[in-house]
Amino acid sequence: MQVLSGCEVTISNETRELLLAAISEDSSVTQIFHAVGALSGFGLPLASQEALSALTARLSKEESVLATIQTLETASYLSQQADLSSIVEEIEDLVARLDDLGGVYLQFEEGIETTALFVAAAYKLSDHVGTEPAIKEDQVIQLMNAIFSKKNFETLSEAFSVARAAGSLSQNRFHLPIIVVPDGPAAVSHHQPVLRLQVTNVMSQILTQVSVKLDQAKSVSSKATVLQQLPFTLSGDFFELNFMNVKPASGYYDFSISVDGDKRFIANKVELKVKVSTEVGITNVDLSTVDKDQSIAPKTTRVAYPAKAKGSFTADSHQNFALSFQLIDVNSGAELTPHQTFVRLHNQKTGQEVVFVAEPDSKNVYKFELDTSERKTEFDSASGTYTLYLIIGDATLENPILWNVADVVITFPEEDAPSTVQSKNLFVPKPEIQHLFREPEKRPPTVVSNTFTALVLSPLLLLLVLWIKIGANISNFSFAPSTIVFHMGHAAMLGLMYVYWTQLNMFQTLKYLAILGGITFLAGNRMLAQKAVKRIAAEQSSRLAKYRTLR
Amino acid sequence: DEACVAVFFRRFLALQQHHLRALDAFLLYVLLTGALQFGYCLGVGRLCFPLWLPPVLTGGSLFLCSAVCLRIQINPQNKSEFQGISPERAFADFLFANTILHLVVINFVG
Repeated sequence: MQVLSGCEVTISNETRELLLAAISEDSSVTQIFHAVGALSGFGLPLASQEALSALTARLSKEESVLATIQTLETASYLSQQADLSSIVEEIEDLVARLDDLGGVYLQFEEGIETTALFVAAAYKLSDHVGTEPAIKEDQVIQLMNAIFSKKNFETLSEAFSVARAAGSLSQNRFHLPIIVVPDGPAAVSHHQPVLRLQVTNVMSQILTQVSVKLDQAKSVSSKATVLQQLPFTLSGDFFELNFMNVKPASGYYDFSISVDGDKRFIANKVELKVKVSTEVGITNVDLSTVDKDQSIAPKTTRVAYPAKAKGSFTADSHQNFALSFQLIDVNSGAELTPHQTFVRLHNQKTGQEVVFVAEPDSKNVYKFELDTSERKTEFDSASGTYTLYLIIGDATLENPILWNVADVVITFPEEDAPSTVQSKNLFVPKPEIQHLFREPEKRPPTVVSNTFTALVLSPLLLLLVLWIKIGANISNFSFAPSTIVFHMGHAAMLGLMYVYWTQLNMFQTLKYLAILGGITFLAGNRMLAQKAVKRIAAEQSSRLAKYRTLR
Repeated sequence: DEACVAVFFRRFLALQQHHLRALDAFLLYVLLTGALQFGYCLGVGRLCFPLWLPPVLTGGSLFLCSAVCLRIQINPQNKSEFQGISPERAFADFLFANTILHLVVINFVG
């Protein structure tokens, strides 16, 4: 076979027939793929046209992405005389099926493995046929972002597919993505003025037969173009450029770099952020005590870094303490405004420290003034000797500074002296909160409510008495069935009310009420009708009697 | 007005019919009960408000149903105004209104 030249594998006729028989419309695409691959691997002849028609027929039935990818691979084994253009068009269709994730990644929803297999198959077929694959440059970049996004793989097949994709992207006839890697962090300084870059392909193989050019370098802060159209020089495996030759100010710069040398290069225009660092120097450091009444002229002492000022300075209710300084770039002499310019005052006895920010004025001179009456809250009014430190720092500074400048004796007005300065310990258990249950409402004493209950029931007795006195006649009570039913029904309804209060809800009550009410209504209707009849009869008889007497 | 009250009482005492008298006794009972409960609530304070409301509502409504509606309709002297409604019908209406009233009150209480 091709790869293992020393290894002889004999294929029996039966196996060969089996493989050839597998290439038909009845086998799945995977089976055709494996059969064609095996036959091709063993160097056995196969009918490309038949295989092609079987493939095309199968592909129209199996629409999955994996089947299409396997078709691409299979086609790359077939003879170039066959018309493979329909299979080549599948590459474009597959590209359309990729999912765009945030404009950064391009992958199939089936995952990275499928995407990597697609890349390998597409380039293999394109190389075989000689047609550039219908994948655009930014699509290739996004495919690479997706395929090479993981460093740990769960399955061996996934790792294999990614390796295959890397191999096919490093060696094919059409698209070669370029990777530019800076040597170490992309930073230059006076000690290290040269920016070194390495150019590799996807398999991290170093390319030196290329030309690297700086298209332009722009300062991030000032947006000014510092450098243009400068080639990098090859030194060993690296491409170098001495950036400090143009004496750039410290800060960040956007480099646009292009790599040329082969028409197949893609992704060969790179943006790189380069940091230029420098060293800072503190100059014109003046410490002074300024009298608040401005009656005495301020006493100024100049200190040179890194020495410490002799003697101590005082700040109290009469005098303020002031500090001013300038920061310059040691190499260029330009004024600097680093991100961190702090003045730290450390109480030697209590260990307290207070940090202030020194701000630059319009001429980039940093000033700090300590007024004891304004700042007493920060100090907790703790008087004493404080050591003054100056802290300067920035990402672009190679020499951050912590400088003990002087000692300052700060005196706060006596009445504000704190009891003892206790370090605030935030992580002490706090007092426990007892949950207050909602207290039940106060009710009147039992005696009162009992009395009142009796009182309220008394009118009932009164009512009964009155009724008896009036002589409400129960004698008129006829024991007709409807009457009994009516009264029973009515009583039942009242009983239902009681049950409703204790147990039932509205729906159940309404249900029972409907039943009882219906019965009561019918019975009552009957009863009242009978009464009405009796009444009308009585009225008529009395009217008749009156009529008769009149006559 | 003095005269008005006097006329009212004379008319009231002149009533002979048992029905009306019994009804009036009932009305008096309802009134007294309601008044007593109101007084109790005033005496004890605000916290009995939810308990106080049902009695007041019941009392008031009963009073209304009985006195105003039933009594007027039953009174033969007012017969001219209520041609279509017989006393029995009035009584039935009274019962129906009562039922609904009790339903609502029990719902509120429970």
